[in-house]
Amino acid sequence: MLDFLQAVSDGVLFGATYALIGIGFTLVFGVMHKINMAYAGASIGGAYAGLLVLKVMSAAPPALVFLGAFAAGGLLGWMVYLTCFHFIPLSSPLATLMSTVGMLLLIDEVIVHVTQGMPQNYPAMFDDVMLRAGEFTLRGDLLLVFGVAIVCMAGLMLLLYRTRLGLATRAVSQQPVAARLCGIRLEQVNATTFVITGLLGGIAGALIGASVGTLSPLLTLPLTVKGLIVTVIGGLGSIPGAIVAGLLVGGFENVLQLYRGVTERDLYVMLLLFVFLVFRPGGIFAAKSGRD
Amino acid sequence: MLELRALSRHFGGVKAVDGLDLRVSEGQIFGLIGPNGSGKSTTVNVITGLLRPTSGSILFRGEDLGALPTHLRLRAGIARTFQNIRLFGQLSVWQNLWVAQNSAEDQARHGFFARWLGGQGGVRAEIAQLLEFSGLAHKQDELAANLAFGEQRRLELARALAARPKLLLLDEPAAGMNSEEIGQLRERILKLRDTGITILLVEHVMELVMGVTDRIAVLNFGQKIAEGVPAEIQAHAAVRKAYLGGDAA
Amino acid sequence: MDFYFGLVQIIGVHTLLGLSAYIVLLTGQVSLAQAGFFAVGAYAAGMLTVLAGWHLVPALGASAVCGAGVACAVGFPALRVKGLMLVIATLAFGEGVRLFFFNFDYQIARGDLKVGPLGGEGFRQIRFFPENGWTTGEVMLFIWAFVLAAMALLWWFDRSRYGSVLRAVGEDELAAQSVGINLTAVKVSAMTVGGAIAGVGGGLYAHYTTHIEHASFNILLATFAIAYPIVGGLRNVFGTVLAVIFVQGFLIEGLRFLGDWRNLLFGALIVLAMNLRPSGFLGARRRA
Repeated sequence: MLDFLQAVSDGVLFGATYALIGIGFTLVFGVMHKINMAYAGASIGGAYAGLLVLKVMSAAPPALVFLGAFAAGGLLGWMVYLTCFHFIPLSSPLATLMSTVGMLLLIDEVIVHVTQGMPQNYPAMFDDVMLRAGEFTLRGDLLLVFGVAIVCMAGLMLLLYRTRLGLATRAVSQQPVAARLCGIRLEQVNATTFVITGLLGGIAGALIGASVGTLSPLLTLPLTVKGLIVTVIGGLGSIPGAIVAGLLVGGFENVLQLYRGVTERDLYVMLLLFVFLVFRPGGIFAAKSGRD
Repeated sequence: MLELRALSRHFGGVKAVDGLDLRVSEGQIFGLIGPNGSGKSTTVNVITGLLRPTSGSILFRGEDLGALPTHLRLRAGIARTFQNIRLFGQLSVWQNLWVAQNSAEDQARHGFFARWLGGQGGVRAEIAQLLEFSGLAHKQDELAANLAFGEQRRLELARALAARPKLLLLDEPAAGMNSEEIGQLRERILKLRDTGITILLVEHVMELVMGVTDRIAVLNFGQKIAEGVPAEIQAHAAVRKAYLGGDAA
Repeated sequence: MDFYFGLVQIIGVHTLLGLSAYIVLLTGQVSLAQAGFFAVGAYAAGMLTVLAGWHLVPALGASAVCGAGVACAVGFPALRVKGLMLVIATLAFGEGVRLFFFNFDYQIARGDLKVGPLGGEGFRQIRFFPENGWTTGEVMLFIWAFVLAAMALLWWFDRSRYGSVLRAVGEDELAAQSVGINLTAVKVSAMTVGGAIAGVGGGLYAHYTTHIEHASFNILLATFAIAYPIVGGLRNVFGTVLAVIFVQGFLIEGLRFLGDWRNLLFGALIVLAMNLRPSGFLGARRRA
C-alpha cells in the first residue's frame, strides 16, 4: 500500500510537467485549431539551450539554467510560429501539420548534431532534500518541479484572465473573424500564443531534465505522444483539463510502472487513452467552442 | 406527403421550433416564411434528420421517420438544397450530380459493382438530362468551385434532383437573385411540380413566394402564427405585425 | 547495381505505405495508423513464411487480410473522433501496435535455432528470398508488381463513382449525408482498403529486410506514411509516388553526400515544401 501511495505521489508530482506540455498543445489548439507537433521538441530544445548558460558561466546556479530554458523555449516557440504558421495559409491544415512535423525532426536533429548524440546531464535543485513522513518520502526535486509548474500555470491564468492580451487571446479562440473586426491583430495573438506556450514548454523541458537527471533527444517522441494523450484526455482546448489529465497520466503511469514494469507501462497509458476515446471522446472537460 | 405533428426543437433555453403542426399534400408547392430566426432552417434540418426533434414527430408518406439517419431519408425520397450553397467544390459539375444518385430507384436499377466501380458511361443519359434542365450542360467538366454564383445555385438544385426526390425542401433558393433570375427560378419550380415532386419552399423573397406557392405557413419565434393561401397571408394582421412590427395598417 | 535495386525496393514499399494513407486521406481522415497496419502485415507474413513454411504470395494475401481486418476494427471507433483528435488517436494506435510487438514473443525451435519474433530483439531470419534464390533485381520487380497493382486499383477507384464519393465525403460530410451518402460505409471501407495495402507493404518490407523489430514501426514511419500523400497532393496517385521518390530518392539517398547534415536538411526541406506548396506537388485542381 505504501509503495502504491509513493508511486502515486511521485507520479503526480512529475505529472505536472506533462500538464505543462498538455497546456501547450491545448492552448494552440484552442486559439488556432491546429496541433503544433513540434511542441515537445521545442520544449526539450529549450531545455538544451538552457545548458548554454553553463557554457558561459560554468558555476551558474540551476535556477539560471532554468531561466535560460524558459527564454529559449519562448524563442523556439516564436520560430515554430514563423516557419509553420505565419506564411502557410491557415486554410491548409495539412500543410501546417506537416510543417510542424518537419520542425520537430529539424529540432531533434539539431540537438543530435550539437551534442553529438551524447546525453547531457541536467542540473537539479533540491535533489538531496527529502521530506519524510515515516516510510513515505517526498522528493525535494519533485516538489520543486510541481511547485514551479503550479507557479507557471497560475501565471498563465493571470495572463489570460487579467490582461488585455489574455482577453484578446480568448476572443480569438472563440470568434476569430469577429475578433479581427474588433481590431485585434490575429497574427499578433497567434504569434504571442506560440511564444507563451514556448515559454511554458521550455520550463517543462528543464523540469523534466532536472528530475530525470539527464537530457536526451530520445525524449522528444515519447514526450510528444504523452503530451497529446494528456491533451486529448483533458479535452482539446481546455486548460483545466490538461492540468488534471497531466497529473492523472503522471500518477497512472508511475503506478503501472511499479506493478508491470517499464516495458509494459506505456501500453497501459495507451489503453487509458482508448478508454477515454470510447467513453468520453470530448475529454474530461469537453470544451464547447474549442476553449475553456 | 409530409406531416409535422407538434414538432419541437429546443437548443437549451432557445425554442427554435415550438409545437409546429404542418401538412403538405402531394403535389403541392408549400411556402414556409417568417422573419429571421423564426425557425425555418431549423425545421428543414429536423425534417432531413440533421437535427433530432426535441419532441413531436414527422410523418413522411404516412410513416413516422423516427430516428432514421439523414442518408436513408434521402433514399426514402426527401432531398434538400442548402441556404449557403454546399457544393462539392473540388468535384466537377458532372461528379456533383453523379455522387448524388442515391435514390432507391437508382440502387435497384444498377447493380452494386456497376454503381460503385463502373465508369461514367452507365448514367450518362440521366445526368445529361439533369444538366439540360439546369442549363449547365456546357460546364459539365468545370469544377463546382469555379462556377458563377447563379450557376452554383442551379447546380445545388440539380444535385437535389439527382436523388429523384418525392419531397424537395428548398432553403432560401432565391437569396441574392435579381428579378430576372427569380422569374427563371419560378419557372423551374413550376416545371418540377409538373413532374410530380412536392415542394416545401422556405423563403424570404416575397416575389417568389407569392408567385409560386399554393399554400403558405408563417413562423415567428418557432411557432406557426398563420396559414393559408397567398392572398390570405398577405392580408393577415399577425403576419404584418411579425414582419413590420407594431400595427401596420 | 544492387544498390539501386535496393533503393527502388525501398521506394516501392514506401509507395504502398503512402498509397494506404492516400485513400484514407481522400475521405478527410488524417490517419497516423497506417504504420500500425504495415507492422501487422510485416509480422503476419514473416511468421507465415518462417514458422509455417508458407510460400510468400499466399502469406502476402494473409497480410492483406490481417491489415484489412485490423483497419476495419479501427475504422469504426475512428468515426466517433473528428479532425485533429483522429490524428492523435491514430498516432496512439500506431504506438500501441509498436508496443504490442515490443512485448510479443513467439518462437519455435528449428533444429538448433529458435526462430520467430522475440520482443525487443525483433524478428530475425526472415529469409524467404535468399533461401529461394531470388536476386535483388527479381525482388525489386516482385515488389513493384504489387505497387503497380495497388496504383492501378486506386486509379480505377478514382475514375469510378466510389472515388468521387470518397472525395465528396472528404470535402463536406454534411452535404454528403444530405445527398444520401452513407458516411460510415464510405469511411470504414476506405480505411479497410488502406489497411490491406499497408499490410501487403509490410509483408514485402519484412522479407526484403529479413529482420524487423518494433522500432522500425515508430511514429516516424507513421509520419512518413501520411507525409507522402500530403506532400504529393491528392489529385491522383502519382502525387504520392512522386513524393516517395522525392523523399526517399532525392532527400535520403541524394543528400547522402552531405553525410550527417542530411538529416538536418530533411526536416528543413519538409518545412520549406509546405510553405511553398501547401497543397502538395500535385495538389487540388486549380481554382479560377
